[in-house]
Amino acid sequence: MSRDLALVWVAEAAVFALVIAGILAERPWALGAAGGALAAAGALVRWAPGLRTALARAFARRRGAALGCGVVLALALPLALRSSPYWTFVATLALLYVTIGQGLNLQIGTAGVINLAGAAFAGLGGYSVGLLTVAAGWPSWLAVLVGPWVAVAVGAILFVPILKTRGHYLALVTIAFVFIFNILMNNLEFTGGPQGIKNIPTLHLFGYAFTTRPVLAGVELPAHANFYYAALVVAGLTTWVLRRLHDSWLGLALNTLRDDEIAARCSGVAVARGKLLAFSIGNFFIGLGGAVYAVIVGFVSPPDFDFGYSLVMLSVIIIGGVDSIPGVILGACLLVPLPERFRFLHEYRLLLYGVVIVVMLLYRPRGLWPAQVRRYR
Amino acid sequence: MALDGVDVAVAEGETVGVIGPNGSGKTTLFNALTGLYAPAGGEIVFRGRRLAGLEAHAIARLGIARTFQASRLCLDLSVFDNILIGMHAGRRTGLVDFVVRRRRFLGEIRAALERASHLLALFNRDLPSRGFERVGQLPQIDRRRVEICRALAAAPTLLLLDEPSAGMNPEETAELMRDLRIVREEMPGLSVVIIEHDMFVIEGVSQRVVAFNYGRKIAEGSFAAVAAHGEVRAAYLGTEAVGA
Amino acid sequence: MLGVMYALVAVGFTLFFGVLDVIHFAHGDIFMLGAFAGLTALVGLKAAGLGGSLLALPLTFAAAILVTGVVGVAAERVCVKPLAGTSPLMTLLATLSLGLVIRESVLIFYPRGADPKPFPQLLPQGGFEAGGVAIRYENLAILGIGLAAMVAVDRVIKGTKMGAAIRAVAQDPEAAQMMGVNLDRTVDATFFLGSGLAAVAGILSGLYYSEIHFIMGITGGVIGFSAAAIGGLGNVYGAIVGGLLFGVLQTTAAALIPRGSEFRDVVAFAVVMLFLVFKPSGIFGEKSVERV
Repeated sequence: MSRDLALVWVAEAAVFALVIAGILAERPWALGAAGGALAAAGALVRWAPGLRTALARAFARRRGAALGCGVVLALALPLALRSSPYWTFVATLALLYVTIGQGLNLQIGTAGVINLAGAAFAGLGGYSVGLLTVAAGWPSWLAVLVGPWVAVAVGAILFVPILKTRGHYLALVTIAFVFIFNILMNNLEFTGGPQGIKNIPTLHLFGYAFTTRPVLAGVELPAHANFYYAALVVAGLTTWVLRRLHDSWLGLALNTLRDDEIAARCSGVAVARGKLLAFSIGNFFIGLGGAVYAVIVGFVSPPDFDFGYSLVMLSVIIIGGVDSIPGVILGACLLVPLPERFRFLHEYRLLLYGVVIVVMLLYRPRGLWPAQVRRYR
Repeated sequence: MALDGVDVAVAEGETVGVIGPNGSGKTTLFNALTGLYAPAGGEIVFRGRRLAGLEAHAIARLGIARTFQASRLCLDLSVFDNILIGMHAGRRTGLVDFVVRRRRFLGEIRAALERASHLLALFNRDLPSRGFERVGQLPQIDRRRVEICRALAAAPTLLLLDEPSAGMNPEETAELMRDLRIVREEMPGLSVVIIEHDMFVIEGVSQRVVAFNYGRKIAEGSFAAVAAHGEVRAAYLGTEAVGA
Repeated sequence: MLGVMYALVAVGFTLFFGVLDVIHFAHGDIFMLGAFAGLTALVGLKAAGLGGSLLALPLTFAAAILVTGVVGVAAERVCVKPLAGTSPLMTLLATLSLGLVIRESVLIFYPRGADPKPFPQLLPQGGFEAGGVAIRYENLAILGIGLAAMVAVDRVIKGTKMGAAIRAVAQDPEAAQMMGVNLDRTVDATFFLGSGLAAVAGILSGLYYSEIHFIMGITGGVIGFSAAAIGGLGNVYGAIVGGLLFGVLQTTAAALIPRGSEFRDVVAFAVVMLFLVFKPSGIFGEKSVERV
């Protein structure tokens, strides 16, 4: 039994160490070494059957410990990255994409409701926070709690009629919506026009200002670490809630109406209501991501929420795995840091995302971490 | 008009067979009954309630369950999931339970899973152990059984079977008849309407037979009576063959 | 004028839906590609000294049609057809991503791709007055070319063997195959035709607005698809009507709303949303086959 435990911890710690090494490596050879080591480890697991079965068994038997180890490593990340506030920020951004991705995944992956306006709903969350704090003087933490509901409300009002029709019409309407949102934010006075809304006050919780530098285990971390932990809590809660919703009567009903609407209706599933529910719950978490983003970065502007970001959110889901909760985490952790690390790719990143999605859909439509059968745990 | 002046009554506990050439309106009848089509006129009364104009899911919750001609299972979902969806309408736990009062929800699900296992075992002892496999991996005959289990899971009062023996060879058909007898024994009060082309099956399970042609009912009665009916024979064999 | 361009793009959408039951979300970016291909051809012709000749326009069209036709068929072979049998979600995501690839490719690989590019004025300038309305030769020419393209499509669909094959496959692919229609070749031909029409529309758009921009495909695609949807997906004449209708709606709305021309795109999208929200299956109804 303890051998399984050791296997799980060693595997997770090894990946963690190699990733950190890769991120912080200053010289190309160091980066290459870290990358090569990771690739070698991956190849070993893929092609050495003994190792693979041992690992699979260990992780299956020690799920709690695997999760716990993951949490510990996630908590320790800012410590490891303390020399680079920038990378702490990138990690925070990845966590926001996890939050948004889980919401979007509930819509597209679980319920088959095709929402291409993710950027707009995130924008609704972000702009609501901006307006509530700067224009109305609300405290940031309250604005963050209220902002997502604006996304939910807008989604519910605008999209109820269309949710009843075929998927491609909804896709089209959401594309139209994200463009309308963008143009409106750009041109309306009260949203600040092309400049957006600036000087959004940072989070203050119980008197603790998030701009102070925290101290963890005796080590002083960059101020960004506060936001990392906030985003970690948000992403963690989001994943927890959505995992439970997925493994429930709701997730089952949504999967069924996604796969065969007629069978679902004849089994007593209220399809229109289910789609609206998935759409709304998803929009809440997408808006939440946008709201937290606003508070972290301190300003929102139209280019932050354009159609391109909808496609990035989509890539996260497809690469990780449609309808797969762990897949979203994997997708975000791959897609957000990689273009930052390989800066020369930055210009090509949307092109690469497009190519990767097409390749994935052709050869690995289930994603890198495919959704597993529902076990109701 | 796909159905014209159809007048059929089904009693409790009865099994009624529906026969007729392709395109005679049999599946259309099912679709109208289950709310997938809205009838232009006439009445559908089920245990005293009017069904015409109700949504399909509302009708399902009233106790009408069905299978489909081309079986409609969610191939990527597990066998259990495909059956559990039949019990979805009867659930007592809600969103809050799924997230925070998880134990309560898990209790309900465990009971549902046991019921699903029980239903599967009626037809094939090996199936429950495959409950968490994706249904697409099962052979066709077991998939048919899963579909029937899904319909039964809802504890319906009326079961509509649409050509369950389609695509089956004689051994499989014999197993199907055995399965239908098991259904009968398991749920004696259940009314069943079965559309079939295989007369062997119809004869074996129906107490009463209704024949359709061109959207109208052309005969009704025992199997022997309907089989001998002139218009029915003409519909299947052609007017010249019957010498009419 | 606008309507004519939308109509040409809409016909493509509706043809693809008819033949493969897919919504080809990359079609708008093919429209953009056609415009850029045309511009490139013109640049080449200018370099060869043929810039102002009478041949410039037809050569431009020909070059653009060839490029989009080939790219369109390649796209279909690589990622539309292979996924056509799977869930509609997959083809939607695949074609969406393909559109992204095309769009980003133009952005990255065309010199200074991010800037809008001026499109040379190849059509006769100037105009005349008729009944108090100023009519420009350029607009008449655009209208004429667009109509000619639509008539050509009509001739192909109604008068040629391939057109009959397309109609047959649109109605019932299996029956068509049993009658000897080569499904793959017909699908290829459909995509070539649709993409070629998009190229014509792209060049017309360049002539009309005197500029092209790498993101024009998104707007063009959304409006084109909506026009096809309004006319009923699968119905070629519906698509044409839808496109013309859209053009009229957009021009009228832009004229009536204050600051209308700035908000032109918003107006278009808002009309799309309103229409699809209230009447998604279009004026003429959608071709849909779902047996229970």
